[in-house]
Amino acid sequence: MAKHDSIGQFEQLVLAAILSLREDAYGVTIHEKVAELAHPKPVSLGAVYVTLDRLEDKGFISSWLSEPTAERGGRAKRCYRMEALGERALQESAVTAKRIFDSLVEVLGKDWARQWGKSWGKEAG
Amino acid sequence: MKRAPSKTVEAILGLLIPPACREQVLGDLHERYKGPLQYFGDALSAVPCVIVSRIRRTTDPQVLFMEAIALYLSFVGVAWISGQRAFLYEPWGLLRLAIPTCVVLLALVLVDAYADPAKRWPVKPLVETAFCMGLAFLSQATIWATDPDLAVPLRIMFLGAGTGLALLSMLRIFFPKDDNRPRGAT
Repeated sequence: MAKHDSIGQFEQLVLAAILSLREDAYGVTIHEKVAELAHPKPVSLGAVYVTLDRLEDKGFISSWLSEPTAERGGRAKRCYRMEALGERALQESAVTAKRIFDSLVEVLGKDWARQWGKSWGKEAG
Repeated sequence: MKRAPSKTVEAILGLLIPPACREQVLGDLHERYKGPLQYFGDALSAVPCVIVSRIRRTTDPQVLFMEAIALYLSFVGVAWISGQRAFLYEPWGLLRLAIPTCVVLLALVLVDAYADPAKRWPVKPLVETAFCMGLAFLSQATIWATDPDLAVPLRIMFLGAGTGLALLSMLRIFFPKDDNRPRGAT
């Protein structure tokens, strides 16, 4: 497997947001989605910009400027899309998270997993 | 009618945000606008991060280190060659030479971060370096006015700045800044 930079938790959130937003991924929507994913932790707009730049430098995402729109005061959006490298990094992170979860279930038991599933379900609405 | 931020505030913010990301950041802030307080909070959170991120992107630590060495050695070398060796043995002599070096480097870092990627011209490295040298002279004038003992002698300043200007311009021509969007950008 090709060696690439590992990603942190916040980077995972931003990548997941871009992946789920598809064609509509730009600063404002990405921030909203990340805030939703990181709930109840607050997320600043600045942190999202810094992470987007870093992910772009790593080659995980790419960006382009869209046409200016009136609702933005005649300014363009910088839209982002996920690259293959980013998708792979996110998949690896998901696999790692799954392994962590499995090891927790192994130690704390299936009852804990069921209870956790219920409380998680409640939180997710 | 949709509420919008004041044009003056946007113009001030526009000056603070590096040109490479000005368009999208101002647009995002405009789109999120709900009121002056919320806008101010968003700007306070976004603008410093955007500046730091831009500096990280436009600054190559290896080139910056080479520039620092080249500039500092120009000041030391000029002091040594031009018959002012005694200055180097003075208390804090070598440290005083680091002041203009630090000012020039800091200015270069900011100049790179705030450079407009769309505007390029052949003598840009020379003009930018000369501008930063000018700031070093300004800082020396300020030091001279407040505490003359900390200022670098004028002769060393002029000759060192001249040598440094030539060396730094060459370095910046040989190692041009990649100020476009990075890999993967379209």
